Amino acid sequence: MLDALALNFLENPKLHHKPRAKRVVQLFMSGAASQCDTFDYKPELIKRRGEKFDPGGKIELFQSAPGVVMPSPWEWKRYGKSGRWVSGLFPQLAECVDDMAFLYAMVAKSNVHGPATFMQNTGFVLPGFPSMGAWLSYGLGSLNDNLPTFVVLPDNRGVPPNGPANWGAGFLPATHQGTVVKAGAKTPIYDLFPPERPYLTPQSERDSQVFLEKLNKTHQATRPGDTRLNARLQSYALAARLQLSAPEVLDIAGESPETRKLYGVDDPVTADLGRRCLTARRLLERGVRFVQIWSGADNGFPRRNWDSHEDLARDHGMLGAELDRPAAALLKDLKARGLLDDTLVIWTTEFGRMPCSQGGKGRDHNPAAFTSWMAGGGIKGGTSYGESDEWSFRAAVNPTYCYDQHATVLHLLGIDHKRLSFRHNGIDRRLTDVHGKVITEVIA
Amino acid sequence: MTPQLPPTPPAIVRTQCLSCHGPAQASAGVRLDKPLTAALAKKVLAALAYNGAVKMPPSGKLTPMEAAPLTAWARAVKPEKPHWAWQALTPTSPLALSTSPPAPSPGRSFFAGKGGSDSDSPFPVRHERPGEGLGERFIDTYVLAKLQSKGLSFSPEADRRTLIRRLSFDLTGLPPSPAEIAAFVSDKRPDAYEKLVDKLLASPGYGERWGRKWLDLVHYGDTHGYDKDKRRDNAWPYRDWVIGALNADLPYSKFVQQQVAGDVLTPGDPAGIVATGFLVAGPWDFVGQAELREGTVDKEKTRVLDRDDIVTTTMATFNSVTVHCARCHDHKFDPIAQTDYYRLQAVFSGIERGDRIYGEGEQLTPGSPTNGYHSAIEKTAEVEKWVQVDLGKPQPLDTLRLLPARPTDFTDTPGFGFPVRFKIEVDGVVIDDKTGADFPNPGATPYELKLAGRVGRVVRITATKLWPRTGDFVFALAEAQVLSGGKSIGRTAKITALDSIQAGRWSTDFLNDGFDSRSGFGKLTYAALPHAPRMISLLNRGEVESPKEAVGPGALFGTAFPDTPDEGQRRAALAHWLTAKENALTWRSIVNRVWQGHFGRGIVETLSDFGKNGAAPTHPELLDALALWFRDSGQSLKKLHKLLVLSRAYKQSVAANPKAEKLDTDNHLLWRQNRRRLEAEEVRDSILATSGALDRRAGGPGFALFAFKDDHSPIYDHTDLAHITDPTTFRRTVYRFTVRSVPNPLLDCLDCADPSINTPIRNTTLTALQSLALLNDPFLIDQSERFAKRLAALPKDRQVAEAFRLALGRSPTLMERTDALAYVQKNGLENLCRLLFNTSEFVFVD
Repeated sequence: MLDALALNFLENPKLHHKPRAKRVVQLFMSGAASQCDTFDYKPELIKRRGEKFDPGGKIELFQSAPGVVMPSPWEWKRYGKSGRWVSGLFPQLAECVDDMAFLYAMVAKSNVHGPATFMQNTGFVLPGFPSMGAWLSYGLGSLNDNLPTFVVLPDNRGVPPNGPANWGAGFLPATHQGTVVKAGAKTPIYDLFPPERPYLTPQSERDSQVFLEKLNKTHQATRPGDTRLNARLQSYALAARLQLSAPEVLDIAGESPETRKLYGVDDPVTADLGRRCLTARRLLERGVRFVQIWSGADNGFPRRNWDSHEDLARDHGMLGAELDRPAAALLKDLKARGLLDDTLVIWTTEFGRMPCSQGGKGRDHNPAAFTSWMAGGGIKGGTSYGESDEWSFRAAVNPTYCYDQHATVLHLLGIDHKRLSFRHNGIDRRLTDVHGKVITEVIA
Repeated sequence: MTPQLPPTPPAIVRTQCLSCHGPAQASAGVRLDKPLTAALAKKVLAALAYNGAVKMPPSGKLTPMEAAPLTAWARAVKPEKPHWAWQALTPTSPLALSTSPPAPSPGRSFFAGKGGSDSDSPFPVRHERPGEGLGERFIDTYVLAKLQSKGLSFSPEADRRTLIRRLSFDLTGLPPSPAEIAAFVSDKRPDAYEKLVDKLLASPGYGERWGRKWLDLVHYGDTHGYDKDKRRDNAWPYRDWVIGALNADLPYSKFVQQQVAGDVLTPGDPAGIVATGFLVAGPWDFVGQAELREGTVDKEKTRVLDRDDIVTTTMATFNSVTVHCARCHDHKFDPIAQTDYYRLQAVFSGIERGDRIYGEGEQLTPGSPTNGYHSAIEKTAEVEKWVQVDLGKPQPLDTLRLLPARPTDFTDTPGFGFPVRFKIEVDGVVIDDKTGADFPNPGATPYELKLAGRVGRVVRITATKLWPRTGDFVFALAEAQVLSGGKSIGRTAKITALDSIQAGRWSTDFLNDGFDSRSGFGKLTYAALPHAPRMISLLNRGEVESPKEAVGPGALFGTAFPDTPDEGQRRAALAHWLTAKENALTWRSIVNRVWQGHFGRGIVETLSDFGKNGAAPTHPELLDALALWFRDSGQSLKKLHKLLVLSRAYKQSVAANPKAEKLDTDNHLLWRQNRRRLEAEEVRDSILATSGALDRRAGGPGFALFAFKDDHSPIYDHTDLAHITDPTTFRRTVYRFTVRSVPNPLLDCLDCADPSINTPIRNTTLTALQSLALLNDPFLIDQSERFAKRLAALPKDRQVAEAFRLALGRSPTLMERTDALAYVQKNGLENLCRLLFNTSEFVFVD
């Protein structure tokens, strides 16, 4: 019972149908990135600038009473063959619109960051459920036994609301949880190497490996018939390989000056996300199944994520400038290397922001409409699914929940979302709970 | 003329029914082309009779010629075998097992009693004693009977060294010391093993080990969880209560009752309040609960989910049922109606989570559940308000001390509400008059008035000019302490006031409760806070936006409790329902959990799900026998442990047996004992015990294995070296401060339970990150060095052997010794110590 789970990484994944993608990279905008300042163009907001916001019906905001209609501080332009509108916040990502499929009618089930961030990650507003990356690890296993299956690259300012629970394995075995990699740090993976001590040398480490294996093999030999003891021996061998492969994959010194420039690694504004996006590409190239990149930390002050209640131009402006070049670089680079064909790229956030102002310059939470996009493996570029209303206040056509997006991701990876389950406390749990519809409209 | 043969049932169904109830349409979800279930057969009979609400076929009643075979067909459908878990506890002699298949003598159904035949109770009672005439070792009789029916038998008993190591870990979560091993191995008395069991059960380690398991189950944590994972500094008394209750061997029904309604059932006993920490142990959405505005849909959603957590935990923990599946619809597999679920929500609809005073303390402790007294709010300052302390009888008074308020649920304002002008009277005589001029606000400084032994009974404080809030005027005080003989004597005094807002953290009762707004002399525990029950409606599809009829308190299987506005009585009713002798679920659930702890797998593998979707018991007769024995023999968990570990089944070796493996690969029948990997806490505690660093101090606030920084979202840094290597953290891991949002990396990769979910049984993984943590975590390195230091005190030639004895409980073999000596020579003792912690032998128990 336990052995099978422990050895899951050795199994050949059994897919439900032919996959369109093999791996996923997800860009998660912590704090709620605005739809009406990024990708969801609403001329009505410009036309009615400063008017009373009155979309009809009851409006319950998280913090404030609704202010006046507030257009985006950025200019809008159409891009690509598809003619998609993108705001001036993302001039470089705008060049990639023909690869993207937009979900304009995303809806969240909570207007509170914690539960909504859980929902977008795990499909549930409650803590304790496995994240999408953990489900993929559980369902698909690894493409490279020398690296973790699910890697998380948090913002260097800190972790998002809910902390590491966002990439936890929940009730799935711990092996499926996201491994945090601190790109560029001296110790990029916690406990990868021992602390410095005079008695811990490369030679002593080699001797230790040999002696430990001998002790454990002797122990195993006198206890035949227990596969766990063998699994444990293998886990030490894998650990040794990880020590060799991780520094290599995380070292970007060998990347060309052009690539560094493309990602903005040497520009202080884009350095952190640039390094992480570039690291993500290197991880994906070497077979990491799911990479999650966070833009933004918690909701504290001074603002360090997208939660722009006070001053949207200032705070979205900062976060957008950090993200635009590196994220566009990742798409372009994956494409140039032929990896975009079977790598799914997802851009998402926990909910949207209000079309009206909060306190004159900010925007409050809007769970009823937000935008997400997908690109790459199996996605029909330049398309969209769903529409928000004239304000981008509510989902108007084809409201889309995380269930549908998760179902689509699993589908593209060869998994029927209704058949990937794990029994926990009496329920066959799924990433998509009892919901989920594959959005065939955006599949190539 | 030959008589016409009556048509066959399939023919009638085909012509009369399938157009609507076939593969094409399945009208009303009914298909008659498939085998009939008992429930459907009943419906078919009713419809054919043509006298009820549903009449079929709609075209007209069937002729007797057609109806007769169809009726016979439907009548022939046998009722499904009732699910085992809903049956009464049933004694079955194990002697019957080996000869014939288990004769089901099903007691009447657990819930069918509602029809009221010979008993008013919903639970049938049986009075026979289990295993009668078999002595205290009846477990083996049941297990062996099953084994023999497959041609198998028990494995030989494990050797003594293995037995003491297994017992020590299973009962206390700690390894035996080399001296303890030596003593047991050489103890030739026939009752040496039993004496060892008694000793381990009597040690504090027992409650620590089994308390940890209980805390997993109830998802105990020391922070709230979610976004802004705030500290919950007063959660630990519940953790200590669990450990203490297990060590004191509280009878199980008391153990259950106290956790559900201890504050109501034993009102004078502080432990009763602490025990309700069970109800509130889980995560709590601070933003949704504290920051969202009242009256919004999201606020209501937060509350429903919060109660869902309490209902789920209570029913899964004590009854092993998945009642939470009935939040949106009737349970799909088990007889749990959606109404049952909302009845349980109604039981808990009067409780909130928060700090509660459970006793008087001697030292000032930070944190306060109350603010103090707050007058009604006025539009102008020149309004007179008073509040007074009536001591009941005249007595000599030394000092009056007024502590200004400084509420924590308001912008930090020392001196909040302190009157601008005021006077103080004793028994109507003004002894302090500050009404002539504005008095400067004292801020956080107490205002003291010497009374110099003056005899008096009523002390009144009158504000003649109120304190200006933003736009209005109030009078507030945190505490009014009357001191006599150096002691505060006002604690039992009667407090009255001209008016008072009596809301939330403000009340006349809080003027002398021992707490100012920030700290106090009371002991606080995070517990259930009783309020008036909220109205609970059945929610269509579980959605707050679609409430249906109101539902009163009750429990499973249609049980309704008196619909009282006294929330405490609602919980008390549930506590009694749960511990009713007839509630078979309760007794099966607990014996099954203890069984799992000793054998690795429950008799029912799904510990918290006895429903149809759960696993079937491997030894149903034994399960019931144990449950009956436990229920009727004092409900002592310690006795239950002893019963299990004294069995032959428990003492077997783990050795392989190819013949048995072929017949029963997964060892469901227990032809051997199961080897297990140590749990996360056991690994850490064993390392500490081995290095000699383990500090056995028990209880109190959790020790921090992290650096803490308070912030918008507090930061818990588990990588902080100073905390990892601080000797004050070298205590048993059960006493650590458990953070929900940020798991401890070392414990986490050893499959420590996630404190956000109910964990009846932990996963066990063996991963590369686990190996890296055991090799490289700063804790492991630090402990290896401490272990090496411990050994360095010995003569050189004894160090290696002693290292093996301390870590593995045995001497090294000749080859191990030779290898280890060479290795130490080259790489040092620290490296050997580190490797021993990494051996499979260290982390597995045979």
